[in-house]
Amino acid sequence: MTAKVEIDPVTRLEGHLAVRLELDGGRVSQAFSSGEMFRGFEVLLRGRSPMDAQQITQRICGVCPISHGTASILAQDQAYGVSPPPGGRLVRNLILAANYIQSHLIHFYHLAALDFVDVTAVLDYQGRDPALVALKAWIKSQVEAKVTYPAAPFLPRYEGAYLGQAELNLGAVKHYLEALEMRTKAHKMVALFGGKAPHATALVPGGVTEQLTARNLAAYRAMLDELRTFIDQAYLPDVAAVAQAFPDYFATGRGCGTFLAYGVFPENDGRTEMLLPGGVLTGEGLKELRVEAVTEQVKYSFFSSASNLPPAQGRTEPAPDKAGAYSWLKAPRYDGRPMEVGPLARILVAYTRGDRPEVTRLVDGLLNQLGAKPEALLSVMGRHAARALECKLVADRAAAWLDQLGPGQPTFTEFTIPRTGRGQGLTEAPRGALGHWLEIHGHKIANYQCVVPSTWNCSPRDDAGVPGPVEQALAGTPIADPDNPLEAVRVIRSFDPCLACAVH
Amino acid sequence: MSNPTRRDFLKTAAAMAALLGLGPGLVPKVAQAMEELVSGLAPVLWLQGQSCSGCSVSFLNSEAPGPAAILTGYLSLLFHSTLSATTGEACLKIINRAAGSGGHFLVVEGAMPAGMPRACLMGHQPVTEQVLRAAEKAKAVVAVGSCAAVGGIPAAENNPTGAVSVPEFLKRNKLEVPVISLPGCPAHPDWTVGTIIHALKFGLPELDELGRPKVFYGRLVHEQCPRFADYERKYFAKSFTDPGCLFKLGCLGPVTKADCTLRKWNGGTNTCIMAGAPCIGCAAETFARSAAVPFYRRREVEEASSSS
Repeated sequence: MTAKVEIDPVTRLEGHLAVRLELDGGRVSQAFSSGEMFRGFEVLLRGRSPMDAQQITQRICGVCPISHGTASILAQDQAYGVSPPPGGRLVRNLILAANYIQSHLIHFYHLAALDFVDVTAVLDYQGRDPALVALKAWIKSQVEAKVTYPAAPFLPRYEGAYLGQAELNLGAVKHYLEALEMRTKAHKMVALFGGKAPHATALVPGGVTEQLTARNLAAYRAMLDELRTFIDQAYLPDVAAVAQAFPDYFATGRGCGTFLAYGVFPENDGRTEMLLPGGVLTGEGLKELRVEAVTEQVKYSFFSSASNLPPAQGRTEPAPDKAGAYSWLKAPRYDGRPMEVGPLARILVAYTRGDRPEVTRLVDGLLNQLGAKPEALLSVMGRHAARALECKLVADRAAAWLDQLGPGQPTFTEFTIPRTGRGQGLTEAPRGALGHWLEIHGHKIANYQCVVPSTWNCSPRDDAGVPGPVEQALAGTPIADPDNPLEAVRVIRSFDPCLACAVH
Repeated sequence: MSNPTRRDFLKTAAAMAALLGLGPGLVPKVAQAMEELVSGLAPVLWLQGQSCSGCSVSFLNSEAPGPAAILTGYLSLLFHSTLSATTGEACLKIINRAAGSGGHFLVVEGAMPAGMPRACLMGHQPVTEQVLRAAEKAKAVVAVGSCAAVGGIPAAENNPTGAVSVPEFLKRNKLEVPVISLPGCPAHPDWTVGTIIHALKFGLPELDELGRPKVFYGRLVHEQCPRFADYERKYFAKSFTDPGCLFKLGCLGPVTKADCTLRKWNGGTNTCIMAGAPCIGCAAETFARSAAVPFYRRREVEEASSSS
């Protein structure tokens, strides 16, 4: 028996995503992922001052602006021939780390967890926790007042098999509320060195504009300590508990099985050592990254520009009525193949290299706890687990970067903008590998292209008709009730899609 | 947290009254406004056009009241694409039903792709059409952030989608509904939360010619700048991380109206100018509009003149 299911919009992610499914025998046979919103950043950047780019591209995404700002200033550093002083590099790391923490927390608790956790469990709550008592009273009052949509925005939702254990549900709901405050705190850490968040103005080529003081270093450390405690005592245990309650999701949403990471958080000024290294992991094993293997294809995308161009030569010519196209996303490919990017890709690359003892320890520890094998990481739960482990890894490492900094340490190196130049800024957003490519003529931007994590993950089919990673991950997913395709959105959200990023 | 007690209301109302620049005598009235919100009298629909969700993320940074309190205690947030548990077709039902019954506040984040409606769809429908339908019977429309309020980056020079601000879009479609504009990239959470509460209890806050609440946008960044004294004595920073006024680095504080230098961002943590970053005019009517007005000055200019 075949059926068609539309999930439009897919909420609880950033932006405008629609997913169409074809079901056969209760399983997804084919999936189509459509990015539904286009602004044209790459078009409107042309002709502007190159320094506008780190501010304008941050506005590609309000969830991970720091990553776009970082990619842009890295591209500009290269084009201008400038390197930040060690203090500038470390402060950039701290700003980015703080935004990783806020992004990973918001993704698990506020975007993804509601697909597993049963908020209504709070109605049976008999304890005295003030936050839960109040939440219960609120939902009850809404139900009794016969509000049309009681407890919005938490209800209505897809019905299905949510978490059954009352204690786990209540703990997760309480942490949902606490995580709202925790992510606000992480944003304060961004603002301490970035000026404000989202959209940090202090990121500039050559370093950062903020200066180091005993005050801002101590404030960052104090908030980081609180976040590390929350990560250790709430985030990691909650992810492990959800994983144990839904073991099937270690065998659901496998995806394309090929992974790409550019690497992030430089540990030295030459950027040769990264906390999370780059690499390409396929069935043929782990290989060094060759950036020249990246292209973007557009056969099924709303663009009339040529297909399969490398980003440095990329073009963005919108064609909203293009026949056969079904997404505003381009389809990035590496050696012509789709690649999954994100925390799972980064953790798998580091784990496979085997030269990051902390990564090995964290991954092995979690696998032992869950009684799972490394292959099980290629799954919905594997993505959640990798994201949580990475959050801990980055937060812990941020404390060590703070130790390397002191008041008054320089954070900026002077530079000038050449008449012509090129730069490539490769980094990692919380959602995965991010690249910006910049070309300057006459002091102005001649071309600017962004290949963004969710462009990789949520891409439509490529010129050869090969589906993108999310589309592949959905294929084979059992759907118990086509009117409530809860299983499908669990797969989609495990990638933490960001559509404003993906299309830009 | 949700279902606050009377005392909680008064406490938060006092903070809110201070935030809005109201005297202590109005605290009970603010508290009453908040109670009405709790009983579901102020349903809010939050739609996203050409946005980055940055104003939503910024909204979550609100501290008094905090995000949990707002979501469960102060607003009946019927739909928000990033926060709603609701997925798929049911979202459109909620939006259509709320739009049909009216009396709601419509918050719009993001610009309207007037020249290319296909550039923003939800449920196969242009979001531009959904915004028009939802605005028709709304008590007020709040255009949150620079994209919605003034067009912002999607409406910058050479943009391919013909993007316009929400007030401009409603005007073109001859829809007369009160519109409050909250430019800023992002909008400060105090501006968003404070405006919604003001609109509920006191009617529209006093607005300027661009529809901005005067209480937040009454004065220039420059006039309220911690480095204003440096400007007065012509002590200018020559490069980033230098002390002194940032004007010669391209600071747009002199053309930008907003209270961010006094209010500060992220719960009083920092501001752009305090962090040594020139104001990029993110709350200005002309934010990012023209390539001829770059965010930063000096570097290209200097080299261009030396090489010419």
